[in-house]
Amino acid sequence: MIPGVDYHQRYWEDVAEGEELAPVEDEITYRRVVMNPATTWDYFPGHHDPEYAKAQGQPTIYINTMHFLGFIDRLATAWGGPASFITRRKMSMRHSIYAGDTMVGQGRVVRKYTDEPGGRTRHLVELEITVENQDGQLCVPATVHLELPARQAS
Amino acid sequence: MTPEVPAEIGLTFGTYEEARALVGTRTSVVFAERAVTGALIKYFCAMVRDANASYWDEEYANQQWGGVISPPAMLLTWVVMPEWRPGDPSPAPMLLGRVPLPDPTVISVGTDMEFFVPMRVGDRLNVEETLVDVSPRKTTSLGEGHFLSTESFYRRGDGTPVARYVHDLFRFTPA
Repeated sequence: MIPGVDYHQRYWEDVAEGEELAPVEDEITYRRVVMNPATTWDYFPGHHDPEYAKAQGQPTIYINTMHFLGFIDRLATAWGGPASFITRRKMSMRHSIYAGDTMVGQGRVVRKYTDEPGGRTRHLVELEITVENQDGQLCVPATVHLELPARQAS
Repeated sequence: MTPEVPAEIGLTFGTYEEARALVGTRTSVVFAERAVTGALIKYFCAMVRDANASYWDEEYANQQWGGVISPPAMLLTWVVMPEWRPGDPSPAPMLLGRVPLPDPTVISVGTDMEFFVPMRVGDRLNVEETLVDVSPRKTTSLGEGHFLSTESFYRRGDGTPVARYVHDLFRFTPA
C-alpha cells in the first residue's frame, strides 16, 4: 500500500439509487491550465496562449476537454474505487472553466442495473455528474456508466 | 478581431459544400508513435489530482488489471503524433483539421466515449476516424459556424477494440 493512494472499494450490492458522490472543489490556476498541454500533448493555443483565447472571444485560457474528462472520471472512480471501470461517459460543454476559476464537481447515482454483453454479466451504475464554476454556473453536465465489482459471483 | 490560425492546428479552408462532400470519409489507420507510458499517466493524475490505485500502485494494478492502466480521459493523448520528424516536417493532421470550412477556429462542444477494455502501460493504440456530420451554418453566442461530428475507433496493436469516441465540435468565426 502506498500512503495517500486510494484503495477504498465499493461493491455493486452496497449502492443505492439516489446516493450522492463526495463533491470536489479544485482551484484552476494559470499554472494548472498550462499543465493541460504538458500532460495531454494537446497544444491547441486556447489552453496556453491568452492572446489566442481572447481573439476567440474568451476572457483568457481555459482548461481542455481531457482535463474535464479526467475530473469527471476522478469523481466517478474515487466514489466507486480503483477496481471500477468506466464503460461509457457522455458530456457536453456549456461553458468553459478559465484560469482563475474554481471547478466544482458533484454527482449522484441515478440508476443501478446489469447487462450481459457477449454473455458476461456486468454490474453497472449510471451516475449524473456536473461540473460548475465558482458562481454555480453549469459548465459541463455528464453521464457516466461505471462497472463495479459484485460480491456475489455472477 | 479574427484569431490568427497557428500553422500547427493545420485547419483546412474551403466551403460548406466541400465539407459536406467529405461526410462518410474514413481515414486510414493511424498508429501511435509511442506506447501508453506510466510516467505520463502520473503527470496527468498529478494535474487532475486523482489518487486511484490503478494509476499509482503497480502491485495493485498488476493484480487487478494485469498492469498499470491509463485514465480513460487520456485516450486521445496516446495517439498524438510528433509535430516534426526528420525529413517530414508536417505529419498529416487529424481528420478534424482536414475538413474544409471558411471559419478560422474551433472549440469542443461534447464527447461520448465507450470503453471496452482498459488501456494498459505498454499498449500501442491505433485509431481510425470517420467524419459523420457537418451542420448547416448556425449562430451561437460564440459566433457563426458549423458543427462537426467525428467517430473514432481505437484498438490495441493486436486488433482488440479499446474505445469508440464521438466528438462534437464547433468550427466558427468569433462574434
